[in-house]
Amino acid sequence: MHSLNYIPLALASGRYSSLILLAYILGALVIGIAFLAGLMATPPRYRKIVVMLVTFAGGLYFSLEFLLPHNPIYIGKYMIPGSRGVANLANGLTAAKPSVADWAMIIGSFALLLGVSNLFQIHGKAVRKKTPGWYNSLAFFITFFLIMIVGFLKDYKLGFLGSHNAAAFQAGSGNLYNILFNGFVQSLDATMFSLIAFYIVSAAYRAFRVKSAEAALMMGTAGVIMLGLVPVGAWLTNWLPHTGFFASMRLEQITYWLLIWPNMAVQRAIDFGLGIGALAMSLRIWLSLERGSFFDRQL
Amino acid sequence: MGTMSEFANPAVYVVEGLLVFFILWKILSARRGRQLFIRRIPGLSVLDEAVGRATEMGRPMLYAPGLSGLDIVGLQSMAIMSHVIKHAANYSTRVIVPLADPVLYTVAEEVAKDAYTTQGVPEQFMAEDIRYLTSQQFAWASGVVGILHREKVATAFYFGYYYAEALILAENGQMVGAIQVAGTPAITQIPFFLAACDYTIIGDEYYAASAYLSREPTLLGSLVGQDYGKLLIIGLVLLGVGLVTLKVIEPHVPLLHGFNTFAYNLFLKYFPRT
Repeated sequence: MHSLNYIPLALASGRYSSLILLAYILGALVIGIAFLAGLMATPPRYRKIVVMLVTFAGGLYFSLEFLLPHNPIYIGKYMIPGSRGVANLANGLTAAKPSVADWAMIIGSFALLLGVSNLFQIHGKAVRKKTPGWYNSLAFFITFFLIMIVGFLKDYKLGFLGSHNAAAFQAGSGNLYNILFNGFVQSLDATMFSLIAFYIVSAAYRAFRVKSAEAALMMGTAGVIMLGLVPVGAWLTNWLPHTGFFASMRLEQITYWLLIWPNMAVQRAIDFGLGIGALAMSLRIWLSLERGSFFDRQL
Repeated sequence: MGTMSEFANPAVYVVEGLLVFFILWKILSARRGRQLFIRRIPGLSVLDEAVGRATEMGRPMLYAPGLSGLDIVGLQSMAIMSHVIKHAANYSTRVIVPLADPVLYTVAEEVAKDAYTTQGVPEQFMAEDIRYLTSQQFAWASGVVGILHREKVATAFYFGYYYAEALILAENGQMVGAIQVAGTPAITQIPFFLAACDYTIIGDEYYAASAYLSREPTLLGSLVGQDYGKLLIIGLVLLGVGLVTLKVIEPHVPLLHGFNTFAYNLFLKYFPRT
């Protein structure tokens, strides 16, 4: 278990390991809540400084981890003085990455509670006020608690029922969980996903209406690609040779060329723009230069 | 050719160093008062029209940040959302924000609260309009579709990271007759938004949105710095194409061998192919 890395092994594997683990979890919760409460109680002027410092430290960690050389640097046979120390630091930062990821996960867990409280607030209000469709909100509460309870019970043996009954109860909970998850959640997911097929048809109908030269070009290209990807496309130009100059006139070859060359070039151009945009945005956030949304008025 | 490393190589130091330099340089010069031009982006210019339409129809607007979490894409989406809410607040129009990430939900709530406060109408903030639905992709999509139909939204904004649910949302937005504006860094979803939305912003326009809407010197300067960065990338691509072409024709022109070896050691080996 990765999380046990933080707990001294002698304590974690001892007789009271469960209690110690519980104490650690509760301790972490208390410290986390105290830190958040402290941050909220801090006057906005100072809170802004704390947020800026934490943001900068986070950005610095990942920048250094990526940018610092992870091996000593040699010029010919001679190692640049200090480069071993830098490499050790870089490797240390890389080794700490799983722990940093855990931190991010822990913060995310706090936020999940807030998300669930928002769901309870909205659906609770709908049920209380009997707004139109309130029964859907009631269904939310029933399914939420049902899958949560069954999810716990399938992994936990209720000792007070006796070993035989507890095993049967656990198996029953497992079956019910499978019905709820695989039978309902997965099937509903698949249903939503399969709707895309119908939406593609209606979107394509609108997109392929030839209203301008560009739309005609797109329509023509889409037609060639669609034909090139189905067997009938290959059949249509099967009379052309498989090798030589005229082979490139075969529909599947034209399709391949369109997808791999012009299409890929455009995608990469967009990717470069996006990459530079993301870099600029990251830089602004890292250095607290972002204005208008996060750093000037809000905090 | 060399192999990909997960850490920086000398080319990364040079290219990334130059990109960072251009961006910071232009930010500083913009903050010193230099006037900068930004071209018109139709998808963002339509914001007033979109808000006006919702106001006239007396219906709410929807702002969906997709499946973005608390990353650069999600934060940029929050920046755009802040501007949308500020515009909407001027006309007392509701903006419903369904979220798929609990961390981003907490940020969205604060950003929305701040936007209403900035416009001097903190009482317009309604906690139930900033909704965390679920982290499940299609469950979230069906939740948003439900909101689109129940609330009969007049305007829908889709700014964030989208996967297969993009088309489901945009088509349902069409069904309720909403004016739709979308922007996503997910290249595979751009065609779907183009087909189903009224306005789609493409590629790095997504990251230009907050600069375009706010006209803040810092953001405009950053945008100009990005353009310099793009020029640098274009230059590198042309140089790479030239050098690789010389390598290909080397068997026919043996004289090129020395130059190609020099170019490989100096440049090409630092740009490994994946």
